[in-house]
Amino acid sequence: MTERSTGSTYDVVLVGVGGQGVLTIGRLMAEAALDADLGVNFYPTKGMAQRGGGVKVQVRIGRGIVGPQIPEGRADLVVAMERSEALKGVTCVRPGGEFLLYGHVWEPTQVMLGKADYPAEEQVRELILAAGARLRYLDPDGLHSCDGARMPANIYVLGAAVGGTDLGRVLDPEAVLDLVRRRWERHAALNEAAFGAGLEAMSHGP
Amino acid sequence: MDRNGKPDAHKRAKLSEGAKNQLITGNEAVALGALRAGVRVVTGYPGTPSSGALGSLLQMDAEESRHFEWSTNEKIAFDIAAGTAWAGQRAMCTMKMSGLNVASDSVFSIAHSGVNGGLVIYVADDPGAHAGMVEQDSRGYARMMDLPMVEPMTVAEAYEMVILAFELSERIGSPVFVRSVTSIANSHAAVMVDEPVAPEDREPILERDIAKYTKAGSAIAQAQHHDVIRRLRQAGEAMREMGLNDLRLAHEPGGVGIISAGVVGAYLDEAFALLEDAVPQWRQPSVLRVRGTNPFPAEEARRLFARCDTIVVLEELEPHLERQAWVEARRSDFGGRIVGKLDGTFERVGEYGVGHVVRGVSEALGLEEPRAMERGAVYEKADRLTAARPITVCAGCPHRGTFLAINRALRQRKLHRDEVMVTGDIGCTILGMNPPFETVWNEVSMGASIGLAQGYVYSGLKTPVIATIGDSTFFHGGIPGLINAVQHQVDLTVIIMDNYWTAMTGMQTNPGTQATFQPSGNRRIDLAELIPAMGVEHFFVIDPFQLEEATTTVADALRLPGVKVVLARQECAIQAQRRGLRAGLVAVDAELCTACRRCITVTGCPSLSLDDETVSIDQGLCYGCSLCAQVCPFEAIEIKREGHP
Ligand SMILES: Cc1ncc(C[n+]2csc(CCOP(=O)(O)OP(=O)(O)O)c2C)c(N)n1
Ligand code: SF4
Ligand code: SF4
Repeated sequence: MTERSTGSTYDVVLVGVGGQGVLTIGRLMAEAALDADLGVNFYPTKGMAQRGGGVKVQVRIGRGIVGPQIPEGRADLVVAMERSEALKGVTCVRPGGEFLLYGHVWEPTQVMLGKADYPAEEQVRELILAAGARLRYLDPDGLHSCDGARMPANIYVLGAAVGGTDLGRVLDPEAVLDLVRRRWERHAALNEAAFGAGLEAMSHGP
Repeated sequence: MDRNGKPDAHKRAKLSEGAKNQLITGNEAVALGALRAGVRVVTGYPGTPSSGALGSLLQMDAEESRHFEWSTNEKIAFDIAAGTAWAGQRAMCTMKMSGLNVASDSVFSIAHSGVNGGLVIYVADDPGAHAGMVEQDSRGYARMMDLPMVEPMTVAEAYEMVILAFELSERIGSPVFVRSVTSIANSHAAVMVDEPVAPEDREPILERDIAKYTKAGSAIAQAQHHDVIRRLRQAGEAMREMGLNDLRLAHEPGGVGIISAGVVGAYLDEAFALLEDAVPQWRQPSVLRVRGTNPFPAEEARRLFARCDTIVVLEELEPHLERQAWVEARRSDFGGRIVGKLDGTFERVGEYGVGHVVRGVSEALGLEEPRAMERGAVYEKADRLTAARPITVCAGCPHRGTFLAINRALRQRKLHRDEVMVTGDIGCTILGMNPPFETVWNEVSMGASIGLAQGYVYSGLKTPVIATIGDSTFFHGGIPGLINAVQHQVDLTVIIMDNYWTAMTGMQTNPGTQATFQPSGNRRIDLAELIPAMGVEHFFVIDPFQLEEATTTVADALRLPGVKVVLARQECAIQAQRRGLRAGLVAVDAELCTACRRCITVTGCPSLSLDDETVSIDQGLCYGCSLCAQVCPFEAIEIKREGHP
């Protein structure tokens, strides 16, 4: 079976930990797609109401009738906001697709206590490449403060996703930034800085 | 769908000038569809994935003539909706699949009586059991109850389907099910939403007719049984007329025919595109997309059989359509294969996707299932290396204090945790099953913890038996269990974890929610007044953030005979934090902290982490409950300020 993206369609999987704002950036992508008159289905899945569980979001852009689930190994882009959760994206990405890895580490308690293992960055990178994906790494250190306030990591990642991957050909980065500005008018400057930092980080290449 | 791949929804509903394209969830589509249908009353009880439907209605400004409420449980919610519909008005009732078990006794009865105003039951199933509970298929109820059931294939169709269900309900005089699944209920997609329509000004019907409104005697009951069967037949005819089930026959005879149920129909075209690339001489199958899953669209199925050599039935969970396909195959002398669950191709467990369509068609064509690539080993390794994230209660959750108090009380009584049965119930309260608490042993159904505990008491155990239950669950189904235990004077301790909200399902109000947050005009029912009035002689109230007192109270209660109730009270931390409240402020004194990690191992609070030489607290997450400070052996966590709650 050939492994091609059908051009007009674009499927994104976002993975991370509850509380990281994964759902929010998935929803923003969906809104941007709708504004651009593209068909879209946004399907968030999270366990229960509690924080700290894994979260997965599927955004399917550019199809008329569409089932909510992206088939295994067929996502055009995976955005992972946490190192271990990124491994759940390995089964999603298509060969030749892109994998944006934000290198944040959020250790579960058992790991912190030394009672369970946590994957090394090298292992995660290896598996992403073994799945045939093109790896884009986003350094958490690129996230800094702006006028004393901490930049929101999810907006940083969103900036990197639309600025540094093919998603930027489907959704206009300017339009996405504009959505972000309008969503939180009071924090427009901070979000713009985070978005810009993400964009900037990706401009250096993988 | 039409040939351009657009939902044929537009074909059925004429949109007005005011219609707007909106990005909404399947649940919101159900809510807005009901408003468009002029619904007067919507009731329900929360349950994932259904809660967003009524939840969104409660946040809207609606006309005075409408009434929306979270009811005490699903049966009561349904009874209310049924009363409204008997009086000739339109009503809807919402629930998750487990809720239908609770409501079912009344639903059977109303099914046999029929209704006057439109009555829609919105039930959301959870194939894949994302939110836990029994992975059950509500379509079985529709069959057992002889009630029509419709299922949207997409989010946009959910809107249309509710409107259509109201029309169908009034046309045949029967309740109608709208069933969705998690991937539709929780997906967001663009929907053309039309302006709401105010409920019609209908004179309430007061009709005295025991043959319709009672079940008194065989003659009445059997006549009603005939009626319900007739109504379902009429529903089938109406569905055919409405073009609900979409049959597309291939141009040439022969080949594969597909029957899909609900959401699965949305994966067909994508799978066909993949197969087209992989299969030489690919021929587009004939397709029957079923949206009216009860009654079975027999006529359309027979036309499919007449055209095709092999049939593939694609439906999540139980093989309901498949079994009926076999019946119709026999009736129509179809001799070909039927691929589905009954021949072992698919399992009755879990969600379907594109892969299932590909596998089913490949099986029908006698092909090896085309594999994308041999990535199995990579996937398996990725899976194995992923760190487990067992869920625990939130930072500052009051349940944490209650679990710790129970564990400590047992230790004070020199009892080992493995010899004391602590039954559990549904909600955030069940998280006491996980480390570091491992307090709670089991989970059955809403309110079952108390009856289960009574059963353990009779089993001959020599140790105390404890039941734990949340406030909403207690109101829903725990009250009869407690009354039973009091009447039979059982030696039992019931711990009610009252956080004032129905938390796990996303913070709905319940009868015990603080008066200020009750919907306007509602009265709060205070458990501290209710429980003594139920004949409970030993009644205690504890603050789960005061660990020592809470522990002593539980330990004392365990010593007493008869039914003891301990009411652990403190608001859900997430709700309190949303209003900017904090229970207090704590800080680690780096001089005193020995990094012994006791605070982490005992409380498991997500705000605590181990920095090089000391423990540190994420003040952005911390609620200041001070439980970590109370378990620290070195008093290294200082309580800087007592807070509000
Ligand atoms: C019959 C049934 N209806 C609804 C649900 C969904 N449900 C799961 S937990 C829960 C709420 C529990 O609330 P509460 O008892 O107050 O505990 P909390 O989560 O607030 O701790 C509900 C409604 C269910 N599992 N079964
Ligand atoms: S949502 Fe509320 S009740 Fe549930 S775990 Fe969190 S703090 Fe506790
Ligand atoms: S006071 Fe301690 S246990 Fe309570 S929320 Fe804060 S860190 Fe967690």
